[in-house]
Amino acid sequence: MGAAAKQGKKRPAPSAERSLDWLNLFVGNIQTGFGPFIAVYLTTRGWTETSIGLALSLGTVAAMASQIPAGALVDAIRHKAWVVILSILAFSISALLFAIQPAPLAVYVAEILHSFSSCTLSPAIAAISLAVAGPAVLGLRFGRNARFAAIGNGVGAVMMGACGYYVSAQSVFFLTAALSLPALVPLSTLVRVDHTGVQAAGNGTVRTKHERPTQVLTDRRLLTFACSAMLFTLGNAAMLPLIGNTLTKTVGAAADLVIAACIVLPQLIVALLSPAVGRMAETKGRRVILLSGLISLPIRGVVFALLPSPVPIVLVQALDGLAGACLGVLVPLITSDIAGRSGHYNLALGFVGFAVGIGATLSTALAGWIGDRHGQPLAFVTLAACGLAACVLVLSALPETKPA
Amino acid sequence: MMRICPIGHHPSVLIAAGIMAIGGLASTRQPGLAATVELISSAGPAGQGAAAATPDQGPALSTAGAKPGSKPAAPTAAPPLPAHLEPLALHDYTGILGKKIVGPDGKELGLVVDVLVDAQGHPRAAVIDFGGFLGVGSRKIAIDWRLLKLTPGQPDWKISLNLDRAEIQAAPEYKPDEASAKIVGPAPKASPLPAKDK
Repeated sequence: MGAAAKQGKKRPAPSAERSLDWLNLFVGNIQTGFGPFIAVYLTTRGWTETSIGLALSLGTVAAMASQIPAGALVDAIRHKAWVVILSILAFSISALLFAIQPAPLAVYVAEILHSFSSCTLSPAIAAISLAVAGPAVLGLRFGRNARFAAIGNGVGAVMMGACGYYVSAQSVFFLTAALSLPALVPLSTLVRVDHTGVQAAGNGTVRTKHERPTQVLTDRRLLTFACSAMLFTLGNAAMLPLIGNTLTKTVGAAADLVIAACIVLPQLIVALLSPAVGRMAETKGRRVILLSGLISLPIRGVVFALLPSPVPIVLVQALDGLAGACLGVLVPLITSDIAGRSGHYNLALGFVGFAVGIGATLSTALAGWIGDRHGQPLAFVTLAACGLAACVLVLSALPETKPA
Repeated sequence: MMRICPIGHHPSVLIAAGIMAIGGLASTRQPGLAATVELISSAGPAGQGAAAATPDQGPALSTAGAKPGSKPAAPTAAPPLPAHLEPLALHDYTGILGKKIVGPDGKELGLVVDVLVDAQGHPRAAVIDFGGFLGVGSRKIAIDWRLLKLTPGQPDWKISLNLDRAEIQAAPEYKPDEASAKIVGPAPKASPLPAKDK
């Protein structure tokens, strides 16, 4: 509170705060987007599985390769709002490419465009949040970001799902392109706010220190945090597909409904919890919040291994929402604690994103490999062990990063 | 490219030339284009080779679709047409990859993602991608080719399957790299449906 009052002079304009809410909502809207529909859509266009797999892998590789360079690029560009505008436009161009001309070359270009713009979009929004809210109340800001992104995700998933089911897979891509337009509206305010924010930081007491990029990337806290985020994602990303797999075998006709619940419920929890998580990260510190998010993964894994039936599965999926809220708030927040004023905030965010990407990519392969050889329960336990390893790493090696 | 089908025996032929060519051609689906298309009709290795050499995506074929086997038309001095061309009337064929399969209640069951063929190139089973929500929990199931009922129509043929969701749900997942794949066959008590491929 005191810290917020100290900032009185450049107190974030409520309009800027609200614009950020809307921006997160609309971006969440398009970001759930067409990803899950690409495979179905290309299948209806006569693409074979092999070629679809190739296109999707290209997207994954492009995303991994562009995380860190994209972060550095966002650092270098002074007006982050323009980065967001261009990223959103790239998003909609990518969607239109899919919709209009699903020929191989266009699909590859669309995949790369989509991957790269995702890598510039989130860091740029985090950077704007930092400029709007200031470091003292950043936890609250990221809490709101995560809430509105989750709402956007949920609403987007419902709209796209309905469109895909009742109209056509192609219409999903047109819808994504159309939904990117309202995302540009809140940016008309943020273009100005970003500018004044930069000025205030320039003549204020909190000056950017301008460290060397290598100094930031070799910070032991950043490395430890990135490593634990990677371990968590390694255990987490395959959890949902594995649940889906289990459910289709055990539940029968209602499986799709239960799977839908497993996807929607965590989003609701994220929307509910994120602001509280952000507030508690400011009062109780980052470590305890991070640990409570991470520990939910081993709990889920063990329960799924022991009780593979719908009711416990859906209930325990709520914990995924807790983890989602904690990680959603803490990834930008802890990174800002470490590198927020180094002049390389987005580079550091890109680095953490890269680590998370590695975890996500290896996760399904790991779970599939173990599941095929030793059965699903052991696959769940292995994923749980990854989550536990993340906890142990944070407990033993990550100090509290909250500025005193 | 089609996957080598692992049913029982060791196939050497990947896919019937006809299905490949037809699959590509039908994806043009432009009524005004031509009433018939021409198939390279030499049934020997030349014909199959030509079909196998065509790209495996509908979109790519749709540009070259009017003349399967020929390279995408060079602006000048088009290569001579293949010697044996057999006309195939519109509505006499359909592409099958990516087509919807509907159940007895008319609801969509899934999309055809692959066709398994035997050593003679005859289709044995259709692999359909079934169920799931936003891509999670969908799985592939191989259905005996004879269980598919094709109803010619415009613009698309209706491909139906007389199994309900529960029966499909109970079917084992099709995994291409397993030693032997299990395909959902006709019910043993009912007399087999009239075979289309023999």
